[in-house]
Formats: sequence, C-alpha cells, structure tokens
Amino acid sequence: MMKKTIISVGLALLIAGCSASQPEKPMSLKEQYEAALARTQAAVEKAASMEGEWRDIRWKKSKKRYLPKAIEAAKAGDYEKALKLLSIAEFQAEMGYKQAMAEKNAGPHLYGL
Amino acid sequence: MRKIATLLLSAGLVASATTAIASSPKEDLEKFRAYFEQKFPGLQLDDFGNGAYALDADKRMQWEAMEEFPPYDEFVDKGREIWEKPFKNGKSFADCFGKDPSKVRVRYPHWDAKTKQVVTLEGDINKCLKENGEKPFKWKKGPIAWLSAFFGYEARGQKINVVIPDDPDAIKAYEHGKHFFYAKRGQLNMACADCHVKYPGHFIRGNLLSPALGQVTHFPVYRAKWAKKSKDGDGLGTLHRRYGGCNKQVRARPFKAQSKVYRDLEFFHQYMSNGLTINAPGYRE
Repeated sequence: MMKKTIISVGLALLIAGCSASQPEKPMSLKEQYEAALARTQAAVEKAASMEGEWRDIRWKKSKKRYLPKAIEAAKAGDYEKALKLLSIAEFQAEMGYKQAMAEKNAGPHLYGL
Repeated sequence: MRKIATLLLSAGLVASATTAIASSPKEDLEKFRAYFEQKFPGLQLDDFGNGAYALDADKRMQWEAMEEFPPYDEFVDKGREIWEKPFKNGKSFADCFGKDPSKVRVRYPHWDAKTKQVVTLEGDINKCLKENGEKPFKWKKGPIAWLSAFFGYEARGQKINVVIPDDPDAIKAYEHGKHFFYAKRGQLNMACADCHVKYPGHFIRGNLLSPALGQVTHFPVYRAKWAKKSKDGDGLGTLHRRYGGCNKQVRARPFKAQSKVYRDLEFFHQYMSNGLTINAPGYRE
C-alpha cells in the first residue's frame, strides 16, 4: 500500500514537473497581429453601429487611416508597426463607442433649451 | 428599504430621460428660437439667415462687398441651364418638379409617408434624372449644387416651412436628427450644438461661429474655401457637404451625403429655421 502511494505521488510529481518545465509558447508577432486585427475590427463595427466612429480609424480621406495602414504594414511583414497602429485604432474605436453610449440621451436639455 | 430606493431612483432616471426627449417639434422650435432671440437680443429673426455676418460689423462689410458681385452668379446660371435643358427622352426637370422653379425649394425637405423617409431636394433631383434615364449627379457639388442653388435663388424671399407630420415614423426621423445635432462626437468630443448653439458669436481659430438658427436659409452655399480648392472657382456645395465637413473637423467619421443620418439631421435642422426667409445661395468664407 505504502509502495503504491509513493509510486503514485512520484508519477504525479514527474508529470507536474514535465509540464512546468515546458513554458507556454509565446505568440508570434503574426499571431498577435491577427488577434489584434480581429479585436479592432469588432470594436470599429461596434462604434459604427452607434454612429460613433471616429475619423482617423479607416475613413478613406483621412491621412492617418490607422486600420488600413496597419493591414498594409502587416502585408509588408512589419508586424511591429502594424500592432502599434492597431492599438491606436482599437483605442479610438472603443472611445467612440463609449462616447456614443454616454451621449445616448443627448438633447436640447443639455443646452438649457 | 434599499429596494424601494432603487426603484424610486430608477423611476426618476426613466422619467428624466423621457422628459429629455418628450418635447414635441413645435415645443422644440419655440424654445430654440427663444434661446437665440435671448442670446442675441439686437437681431431680428431674419438677421439670423445672415449667419456670422449678422454678428460682426467688419465681417458684414466684407460680406456685403462680396455680395455686390456675387461669385456664385455664374453657377446659378449654370443651374438655370440645367433646368431648361431637356432630357434625352424629351422631358425635363419641370416634369418632375412642376413648371414654376420658384415653388420647388420651399417643399423640401419633407416626409414621405409611403417610403417612410425624409425626402430632400437633392435626393429628388437625382431621382428625377434616374427616372428619365439620365445619369444622376454627384451628391455634394457641381451640377447638383448649381441646380439646387438655382431653385434657392428662385425661392428667395419665401419662408422655410418644413412640416413634421404627426406620424410616429416621421417623429422618429426628426428625433434621430435632433439627437445627432446635440450628441458630442469625434475625437474632439464636440456636438453640432456646441459650436452653433452654445458658442455662436465666438471665434474658433479665425472663424466666427454662426448660430444654428437660420443656417439653412442660404444653402447651397458658396464658400471661398471650397472655391480655392476647385479648378474653376466653383465654391458651391450642398448642405450635406457642409455636414460632412463639420463632422470631419471634430474628427468624427463623416457620413455619406444623402445618407439617412444626414437626411434626418436636415429634417430637424431645417425645421428649426421655419419662418425664416430663404436667401440662397449665400456667400461664406
């Protein structure tokens, strides 16, 4: 009985040790980009659905166009630049949505009318 | 006790939210006009149609000098030519709008009960072209602005008279436009109302902000800024072109000209100037 317990505990420790010794594989820049792109696109659509999209995220006449430029950078293999641009686009999309929600009850009453 | 307090608070919030949007278009108009009359006690109602030039004597002098030989005249003439030129099928704009061009501008914008949407003058110009097998105009400038300016010119002296019918869908469109006007948007967090209700008469960079009351009377407008950009000095543009420009300036993504958002905004915006005299097209910086 004692012997079995020792073996079981030993096995458990071995398995735990093995799994602990295998660190989680970090996401590649490309994977990080793909995840960020999906998140940003969803955030932009959410803001747009509330009429709250900001100018510089993807509007074709904006000089900044963070989202399309991020996609272009990724296509050129510059994932670091792409991630940087996506972080701005995602932030702006989230702010646009929050702003639209905060302004849901906007009306003349706010101006004393 | 806590539950009761929560219920009361919720009821209060609902009530205040309802109060905020429950005023009728007529009540909105009365308060809107009274606000501007109180803010600018020296102005007569029709002075508001002159925008910022009603507020600043120097700018008014410059503007009056421009209006002596108005740069928009040649484009109004082009609009007249478009009006007179028959379509390939032998019909003309008169078959869509009636024979008297001076009676056109005052009918817009209006609510169409069949399609359940706001109909604008520019929308009907392109509808007329399409129905007659012609290529529609681009929405913001060029021929559509020329023809619209011609209609405005012919209607000078008549009063804006937008009707918001007692139809829940029409009221919904009006409320949508109203909300758009008062809601802050864009990276600069500014509403149409911030510049044109709260701060008219103040400068934003070198520009004097105009009051929202009377803004629509002089559209399509000839802007010196737009004329500079064009190759042939054509500075005429539609109201929706201006909406897009304003949204862009506060760093919000502009909507397309003649989109539902801008048509609803126009419905509210024009209604707020009911009773003011049409003086289109106007000259602005």
